[in-house]
Amino acid sequence: MSGVVVHLPRGSGGADGGEPGGDAVTLRLGPGQVARFGRGSATTPVELRLADAAISRLAGEIRATDDHWQLTNHSTTHSYLVENPEGAGEYLRVSPRRVGAPVPFEFSRVVLPTRGELAVSFQVFAPDHVYLDPDAMGAPWGSRTVTAYSLDESATYFLVLVALCEPRLRDQSRVAVPTTPQIVERLRGHVTGGTLTARAISSHIDYLAEEKLRIGVLDALEPGKGDRRNGKREEIVGLALRFGLVREEHLGLLPSLAGGGGRERQRPR
Amino acid sequence: MTASHGPHDTAGLDRTELLQPGHRVGDWVVTELIGSGGWSTVYAARPAGRRREGDGRAPEPTEVALKIMPTAGLAPRQARRIVESARREVELGRRAGHPRLIGLRESFVLAAPELPAVDGAIVLVMERAAGSLRELLDAGVSGADRGRLIAGICEGLTHLHRSGWVHADLKPENVLLGRDGSVKLSDFGLATELTGTHGYVPPMGTLDYLPPERWRAPLGELGVQVRPSADIWALGVVVHEVFASGASPFPGATPVARGAAVQEYGEGRAPLRMDPAVPPFWRVLAADCLAPTHAARAPHTAESLLARIEARGLAHAGAEKHTARLRGRVRAAVLAAALCGAAGAALWSDTVREGASGHRPGAVRVFNAERGCQDRTDRDPQCSLGLAIDPLRPYAAGNVVPTRVWHGDVLTADCRLPDGQPVIDEEDLQSTLWFRVRLPHGSAYRAAWLPAVRTKDRPALPVCPRPRAGPPRHGGPAPEGPGS
Repeated sequence: MSGVVVHLPRGSGGADGGEPGGDAVTLRLGPGQVARFGRGSATTPVELRLADAAISRLAGEIRATDDHWQLTNHSTTHSYLVENPEGAGEYLRVSPRRVGAPVPFEFSRVVLPTRGELAVSFQVFAPDHVYLDPDAMGAPWGSRTVTAYSLDESATYFLVLVALCEPRLRDQSRVAVPTTPQIVERLRGHVTGGTLTARAISSHIDYLAEEKLRIGVLDALEPGKGDRRNGKREEIVGLALRFGLVREEHLGLLPSLAGGGGRERQRPR
Repeated sequence: MTASHGPHDTAGLDRTELLQPGHRVGDWVVTELIGSGGWSTVYAARPAGRRREGDGRAPEPTEVALKIMPTAGLAPRQARRIVESARREVELGRRAGHPRLIGLRESFVLAAPELPAVDGAIVLVMERAAGSLRELLDAGVSGADRGRLIAGICEGLTHLHRSGWVHADLKPENVLLGRDGSVKLSDFGLATELTGTHGYVPPMGTLDYLPPERWRAPLGELGVQVRPSADIWALGVVVHEVFASGASPFPGATPVARGAAVQEYGEGRAPLRMDPAVPPFWRVLAADCLAPTHAARAPHTAESLLARIEARGLAHAGAEKHTARLRGRVRAAVLAAALCGAAGAALWSDTVREGASGHRPGAVRVFNAERGCQDRTDRDPQCSLGLAIDPLRPYAAGNVVPTRVWHGDVLTADCRLPDGQPVIDEEDLQSTLWFRVRLPHGSAYRAAWLPAVRTKDRPALPVCPRPRAGPPRHGGPAPEGPGS
């Protein structure tokens, strides 16, 4: 657990350019820490600069709380939307002047209205959500020993993880870990995972390695360049299997191998 | 291969099915259910009939605890996790047995073809305890017994750490109490043997007892790194819980919220706010255990904490050994009652309180004339006071023992010396009176001298035999100055 990650993708900071050069910005907030966002000024400093004339100097605040985060809307006229990109249209509306609205999503996109065509948005990840172990259900959990690296089995990153682990889960031998194009292919035909691009899959793998499992040796590696780094994938698969984060029963999440959706993979015997 | 099981079948009903009293497991007969966790169910059991009759060994205990870890219906990888956990317990039981660790008698794999749910289960046969520290906290623990409980946990940790193991899941649930009130650490499913300064544990733990560094710890090939200082952190939380009616030192309504508070504290964004109910000595001890980083916690080993607790016990109860022994017997009897309900606990606390508050001859409370030091409980070296080696030589560097004392410490004095070296304190009080005080076991000196200006107490004591002037002891650590 280490708080939340706020990410402003390159060029998303608003029509006027946002951060200097329109560069991507990533902020890491520990529990209790706050990041302000808005147009900013010399007298109204903000940690996340969004440059659009329709956005106030101080538009809002994000506060990392427990394992989630809270959104305060400083606008007196506009509601902000918090979308769950993995939630099939799930979203919440945070009314003007609302203080500390708790956001329950692991992945969120905060959308601020503008006058132009292009809404300004940024992402907030809350990787610290805790899940109960499947074999510890139905009992008080407060003082239970729990797995400290819990994964949301309904999240897209988990689907990607299962696809990564599949060859080893199926025959338990040392088959090479699938490449990104192989995963794109394998997930084709999946209801939600079928449309994943190679780039999206790479960023899910990075998220797993950096935020969820916090794989030790990755500090030196640059995020977003996962494709040729088989070491990282090998390690994710090794850890996920060794510590039982992905198990045989999860293979059911993948599209059926014999199904019409994807091309047959060669099935090792 | 159990790929056909959906994710919801992992906790399949067959795994939680219980054994009925009277059921025979190996050489044991189940008498009752004690508790059930994620991976295991624990039963009380007694030896089956004619077990090992006349083999000349000590008589079998009347009852044991059977920890049954079923593996039936599990995928091989899940089963491996359980086997691994059992292996850790057995390994530790075999190699590091100690009166403060729950004893493991034997382990076997259960063959019970008639009961598929437990066929192939791993069975650990363990010493039966009367209850856990958690149950005692819930019933209300009070009085001087709190200190004894913490000392017991410290003894267990000292032994574990000395033997090169880390418990890695210390919490009141895993501190068991014998029928005689003795403390026994249990549940070594995550315990790990150190290789060098670290051990590795599976990525598991109990949120309320994880040190700040664990929240960001990377997962490596062997698991998560742990060091003995992780147990010391957990001990700090337990000390606070014992003295603050079971409350964690960290604010928050849920374990996740308290975990966030631990991180804020660990990153220096929030102070440590302990319950005022925690007495000064224990507050200082807990604060040392809860130092925010491994480096700051490392000097406070289980051994050094135990020495402090014992030194305090000596100061508090030294003069009353006999009474204490008598009281111990009463206390043990009442502990068993306390575990059965709140009425018992109330009775117990009264018994102890009466004994503890009685007058103790020879007790002197240290007084530091520096006002800034009187309210501090952090045992800052700046506020420490020195004890002299020789009351006939000047009270200065070179004539003090390595053991330091602080305002409020209670020492046990044996005798007084009316005409020692004159000492003048910060408020110009002058006195030639000295008290000879006992030092904790393991100190470089067995006794040292407290100038009377350093205490307000004037207990009636015999006059000491005049100390023979001699050269300062050689070979000991270089003494510091006598302090402010």
